[in-house]
Amino acid sequence: MKVTLETYGGLAAAVRRRPQTLDTSTLPETDAAELTRLVTTAEATPPPTGSDGLARDAMTYAITVEDNGGTTVLEQSDPTMTPAFAALLRWLKTHSAPR
Amino acid sequence: MRTRPINCIIPPYILDKLLESPDSDIRQAALDTLLTTARLRGERAVRASIAGAAATPGDGRRTVFDCDGAASLRGAALARTEDGPASSDTAVNQAFDGLGVIRDFYQEVFHRNSIDDQGMRLDGYVHFDVQFNNAFWDGQQMVFGDGDGQEFSNLAGSLDVNGHEVTHGVTENTAGLEYHNQSGALNESISDVFGSLVKQWKLKQTAEEADWQIGADVWTPGITGDALRSLKAPGQAYNNPQFGKDPQPDRMSKFIHLPDTPRGDSGGVHINSGIPNKAFYLAAVGIGGFAWEGAGRIWYDALRASTADATFQDFADTTYQKAGDLFGVGSSEQAAVLAAWAGVEVQISGVPKARAFAVSGNGAVGREDGLAALSRQLGELNAKVSGLARDIAALKGST
Ligand SMILES: [Zn+2]
Repeated sequence: MKVTLETYGGLAAAVRRRPQTLDTSTLPETDAAELTRLVTTAEATPPPTGSDGLARDAMTYAITVEDNGGTTVLEQSDPTMTPAFAALLRWLKTHSAPR
Repeated sequence: MRTRPINCIIPPYILDKLLESPDSDIRQAALDTLLTTARLRGERAVRASIAGAAATPGDGRRTVFDCDGAASLRGAALARTEDGPASSDTAVNQAFDGLGVIRDFYQEVFHRNSIDDQGMRLDGYVHFDVQFNNAFWDGQQMVFGDGDGQEFSNLAGSLDVNGHEVTHGVTENTAGLEYHNQSGALNESISDVFGSLVKQWKLKQTAEEADWQIGADVWTPGITGDALRSLKAPGQAYNNPQFGKDPQPDRMSKFIHLPDTPRGDSGGVHINSGIPNKAFYLAAVGIGGFAWEGAGRIWYDALRASTADATFQDFADTTYQKAGDLFGVGSSEQAAVLAAWAGVEVQISGVPKARAFAVSGNGAVGREDGLAALSRQLGELNAKVSGLARDIAALKGST
């Protein structure tokens, strides 16, 4: 399973940000299991409904999950993201290789 | 206070000459112009003194909360209140102090009582998320990340970033500019303009002295580049391997069309804001002195008079009208606004293009080309004289 994080928007929306990709096949077994669990939970959690659209300079995160079964894209924004999405996002941010 | 010896459309020495004209109609028109100008000058002085006297400490009580690394505002701990002691946490105190400066800026310069002009509380949240390279306004409060320490440093410590976020609240409570496409880029530009003005006001810098940057203190020392954005030179704020080159356009022909999606920055609201940003810079430098006294007042009044779907053209026209209301039709301030928008390739509606042609693209705004200005002034004087002649004829006819 390949998981790619893209970040866009925010106060500094104009700066270029490179996508960060993690592949479970190259991760230690415990990390791969943890990432798979977080992805499964985030995919199963419905996105927040009816954002009032008032947030300015909010960041948006697109997490693309590529698996044998196909591709899933999860996209949510600060500060309305679900706890499941936030947990996956934090894990990706802290486990991605330094740029 | 800056002084401005020439404030009316016709230089005083020409008016003096006209007062000596053998033609009584011309003498009357010149006298009329002098009287009008003197009256306008008086109004400006009166206005300024009223604003000064009324600048008592307003509401806008501050509260700062500590998210302690959580990516949520729920559960944030109270860290500092308006009357409470300082915190041991630097970011808490920076946000608190920044909000105070911004509140005082809006109160003293624009006589505005906090975000909603009714004393709205100013709530700031710091330490949002981990490695969070951002600050945002969620419709009710300001939220600041600490930065990742590699590329971005603590965002609560940047006064213009603070001012940018608070101004999103002011815009929400005035024009309510829709946050996509041109109205969204105007929304962003207003936040950059007033964010920069807050810093200039705090430092008591003239338009010439100011750095016109947003987030100059946000990059860490390891990142080459001046700032996140530059109002003076959109497109030139940074150019480095991490972030690429600043993509902001500085004129309409470079407008960047992007999809109205989160990925497209809602139609490039943080990109195309470079165009109105540059227009403000050109107006401020064209007028001279402290930018919050001239161009700032014009833009503030235009913001309050604009509708949610305003385009660059709409807003430009409104600033031109407000410059006339505030400083006089045909004033040097109004001419500077005209030239500023021409400098980013926006022509004010109903004003012949020739009037604003004396504009260089980069910084040096002519007030107006001398010949064009003179011909306009003579045209206006001529209209005045014709009108006066009609009035006199009517008076004669009625007796
Ligand atoms: Zn913004």
